[in-house]
Amino acid sequence: MNRIRHIIRTNRTARIALIVLAVVAVLVAFGGWLAPYDPLKQGDAILQGPSGSHWLGTDNLGRDTLSRLLAGSRLSVLGAVEATAVGVVLGAIPGLLSVYIGRTGEWLLLRLMDALLALPFIIVAIAVTGVTGGGLHPAMVTVGVLFAPTFFRISRSATLGLRHAGYVEAAELFGSSTTRLVARHVWRKVATPIAVAAANTTGAGLLIVSSLMFLGIGVAPPAPTWGGMLATDLNYLTQAPLAPLAPALLIMATVGALNLLADAIREDTPAARTARVRTPWKERARVNAH
Amino acid sequence: MTAVTILENEPRLSVRPRFVSTLLAAGKGLGTVVAVLLFASFGTFALGALAGTSPGAVALGSDATPAAIKAFNHNIGYDRPLLVRYVDWLTSALKGDLGTSWFSGIPVAQSLADRLPVSLSLAGLALLIAVVAGGTAGILAGMKRRTLIDRAITVVSGALSTLPPFVAGIALIVIFSVGLGALPSGGYSPAQAGFGTWLSFLILPAIALSLDAACEITRQLRTGIVAAMDENYVTGAVVRGLTPRRIMFGHVLRNAAGPALAVVGLHIPRLIGGAVVTEAVFALPGIGQLARDSALQGDIPVVQGILLVVLGLVLVSNTIVNVLLERLRPHAARSDS
Repeated sequence: MNRIRHIIRTNRTARIALIVLAVVAVLVAFGGWLAPYDPLKQGDAILQGPSGSHWLGTDNLGRDTLSRLLAGSRLSVLGAVEATAVGVVLGAIPGLLSVYIGRTGEWLLLRLMDALLALPFIIVAIAVTGVTGGGLHPAMVTVGVLFAPTFFRISRSATLGLRHAGYVEAAELFGSSTTRLVARHVWRKVATPIAVAAANTTGAGLLIVSSLMFLGIGVAPPAPTWGGMLATDLNYLTQAPLAPLAPALLIMATVGALNLLADAIREDTPAARTARVRTPWKERARVNAH
Repeated sequence: MTAVTILENEPRLSVRPRFVSTLLAAGKGLGTVVAVLLFASFGTFALGALAGTSPGAVALGSDATPAAIKAFNHNIGYDRPLLVRYVDWLTSALKGDLGTSWFSGIPVAQSLADRLPVSLSLAGLALLIAVVAGGTAGILAGMKRRTLIDRAITVVSGALSTLPPFVAGIALIVIFSVGLGALPSGGYSPAQAGFGTWLSFLILPAIALSLDAACEITRQLRTGIVAAMDENYVTGAVVRGLTPRRIMFGHVLRNAAGPALAVVGLHIPRLIGGAVVTEAVFALPGIGQLARDSALQGDIPVVQGILLVVLGLVLVSNTIVNVLLERLRPHAARSDS
């Protein structure tokens, strides 16, 4: 918590990113309630540009674009958050444990993660959705499972690096159990790179969720989603070429804010801070969280 | 006789240590590949077991009695244990038989063969664009670091990487098809019918698909070059009076390209998977479209076949990338984490 406060105080980019994300959070929480019209109500004025009564115009069935955008934010963003949460749980914990469970288990876990890494997100998500009979949750859990290797690698390499750190060895010498060692000493240090990756992954997750919704996977047609709106807009590009702008910008702003926030957290480690003061002329190689 | 053999063998060994190490790396990778293939293909196959449907239910329609469905499934061996069916499926798949569609009765291998050229040309072209454009931008940004060019490239690639792939596609359609009317907004024509037409159908989707990978390559290459520029051997090369161009392409790039190449390997599944979306935007008849249609229909053998073929493609290309990495950096110690 202190870290986050520090970042907000010192980093302007992070402040902007957090403001954008706060706005998105408001949309997710109250979007449907803020909408000026019923997002499903059809009207006679179709494919209109922005006007006083319809700030962002209307779509091919005369539905208010702004209302659909606001009402659609919940499914779009929560889907990405759900995938990331599944990925963190299924990746970070095995990654931590892989260092401690012995060679056979370690080898199996590593190969399992390699296998997950070789599967393409969208095709697998489509396959699972089709096979399980639809719904957004199977798709998002699948994407989360495929996100797991990212978190697995990060938490594993951080744990490997920490295993021989002085204070961890000292705790081991004092007779602390492996469980205690992991829970008390290792986990806290691993949490920062995990947080960075989680921010990045939520952004990537939003892109994948929008892609799935664009393809009509997981969400039934009348329900508004950002990706689904873009799919309808695609059919009317000749009449309304600027219609995709609003949902696209909303997705880009959210993803961009998440990436900027991840960069800010990554660059705000104590080591990086001293490095910046001591050797301002040397650029630090960025750790890639992907 | 023996002396001759030794004489013949000796130079070969000393001339090709690198070739040998490449082979060794490939062999070491093979164990991993086989394990990964088994894990992932079993996952793919088990997916079908999750489905509530069976070939009997599909073939006999909704009026069939449970007993009739059971008998049908028994006749084709569908009621055997999952593991037995998996081994059966994998062995015949390795021989090129992926089964037949439950709905159309067309062999899965045949419908894949029809559509694979489309998807492969799309992914290949996208990969080419990503490597050329991303590589050029990354080298440029790394060489001119902390200048206006560097900053512009960093900002643009950061912004482009937040772009959903289908939005990039829509934007390209708006600009080039609706606005300029220069290129078709969708469809496909095989390369045999004329290279120019083929390219005109594929260029926009390939650009849209390549953006994500191109941005990532740019970022990694820039970081790698900036880090490599601080190394002692660069200072040494400057002292020896080598030209900047020679230092960049002879020394720096070789060491900096590793992470970027690894990114290429990681992005190959995404290029093949992301092609689904791009194919939908540009109405390309590739395997992505087939995957979507058959998944929504519940055509399990087709879905499994597609997943297996995609998996094979990804594993082959990842192995190639790993071998390249090994060749590029002889000291590359492949750590497993």
